[in-house]
Amino acid sequence: MRPIFGPNTRQVLTFLTDLWLLSPEEINRVTRAWREVSDVERAESWAQLHRAASLRERNSYLAAASVARKQAMDVASMLQRTDWAFWAAAWDAAAAIAARERLGSHYDILISPLATVFPSLSGSGNRLQVPAQRSERQAAAKREAASRGKVTETSSKQGAHRSGRAGMEAR
Amino acid sequence: MSSRFTQLFEHSPDAMVIVDRTGQINDANKQAEALFGYGRDQMRGRSVNTLFPGQTVPLSNGSGRGERVGSHLDLVGSSSDLRQFPADVNIIPIQTQRGSAEVLSVRDITEEQRAQFVLELGLDVFESADRNLQSLLDHFIRAQEEERSRIAAGIHDDTIQILAAANLRLQQLRNRLDDPEQRDILDKLAKTLHMALSRLRQLIFDLRPTSPEHGGLESALRAVLEQMQSDLDVRYQLDDRCTSSLPASISALIFRIAQEALINVRKHAKAKMVQLEFQEVGGGCLARIVDDGVGYSPADVEERPGHIGLSLMRERAVIAGGWCRIESTPGTGTVVEFWVPYSGLPTQPEVRNERAA
Repeated sequence: MRPIFGPNTRQVLTFLTDLWLLSPEEINRVTRAWREVSDVERAESWAQLHRAASLRERNSYLAAASVARKQAMDVASMLQRTDWAFWAAAWDAAAAIAARERLGSHYDILISPLATVFPSLSGSGNRLQVPAQRSERQAAAKREAASRGKVTETSSKQGAHRSGRAGMEAR
Repeated sequence: MSSRFTQLFEHSPDAMVIVDRTGQINDANKQAEALFGYGRDQMRGRSVNTLFPGQTVPLSNGSGRGERVGSHLDLVGSSSDLRQFPADVNIIPIQTQRGSAEVLSVRDITEEQRAQFVLELGLDVFESADRNLQSLLDHFIRAQEEERSRIAAGIHDDTIQILAAANLRLQQLRNRLDDPEQRDILDKLAKTLHMALSRLRQLIFDLRPTSPEHGGLESALRAVLEQMQSDLDVRYQLDDRCTSSLPASISALIFRIAQEALINVRKHAKAKMVQLEFQEVGGGCLARIVDDGVGYSPADVEERPGHIGLSLMRERAVIAGGWCRIESTPGTGTVVEFWVPYSGLPTQPEVRNERAA
């Protein structure tokens, strides 16, 4: 496998895949957990990530974070969740997974919101594991969400149109 | 074999062969016949190495159960016409009436490998385009700052000096005139010159807002915020808790990111309040700019071209060795958060070499 996100590319890809298994309630839980983490602690952890890595490594960690953020936005949209704290949490978590060996205890800070739904991600001392078992409940939630996908997309676009947000497009 | 197992064996979408402890093929299904080009009678009694020549197929030593349940190998298969193909092989130990054996489930992964090759080529193209884009943005941002600085220096050292000298001569000329009408004309001319000087000084501020002559970062931001409050009635809170003396390049960079965020507030947010907070974290400056405006949907906005301001904010932070996140949801305002290290901007050659690598 090509290490597009650094040496932990496989784990990042697993994480990206597992995001699709989250239920709406689990997204809410991640969102709440992310908001409970101190901004300063989070920034300290990111600072550690930047201090400990070369520019090239940083770019691969940021690439992992960006892809995870986009993926999380898609998942949230599919499940009609709009709080950006969820994709911010995915951004942090993907960078933490990619840079795990560089982060030490800071890993736990960045991963903690997602670890509330994927407990196997937590623990800076342990070898990274994939979320252990995908329960039937999660799989069912995913199937249900997938079946709602088109409706959700249409309604969200209509909503955006109705709210007259065309002006924001120029950003 | 039980009839149930026989059915599974025969109807499996994968090629399957049953191999005994010595590596001799006992049976094969029709997919195996199709894949390897041998009839099952031709395969029976032959070594499994007929199908995977020159490779070791690790088989159980017969002690039994569960030694390598579902063990997985990447081998090169060989068919009767000597065609070779990449094969994904799963080895499953089973117990038969004649003792322990192994079922080899074989899949030709030529197409998967081709697809992966195409994907990797696409990834190469994407990475190259991304590197080029980053390099271009990097160059653009640096060139923009250098050019602004050069223009500001030119205006300060040349144009303003000339205008000031002209103003002085105008005053001398005025003092020699007795005719009130002519003095009045010269007064108007002097006023126009003052206005031109004042505008040029504002232009220098816009070009070099954080220079010491203008009072640094906080003062520069306050000027922008005051202007916004005056124009749009947007109140502000500015909390600068960075006590370190910032390098000029970092100070300018922080200002430019914040300025871009404030331009967005001004243009799009319809906000009543904007809060700016700067604090020292991890050897750098953590900035948060939060407005209470209408917000936006990142998924909608970021997918469309034409939002270079957002990209420039992120890129400026990354160039400085930091990061920037811009988050929003319709109806909940926008948060711009970024961190840049005090260690300063990396030199341009380092950036280029790393990205070219």
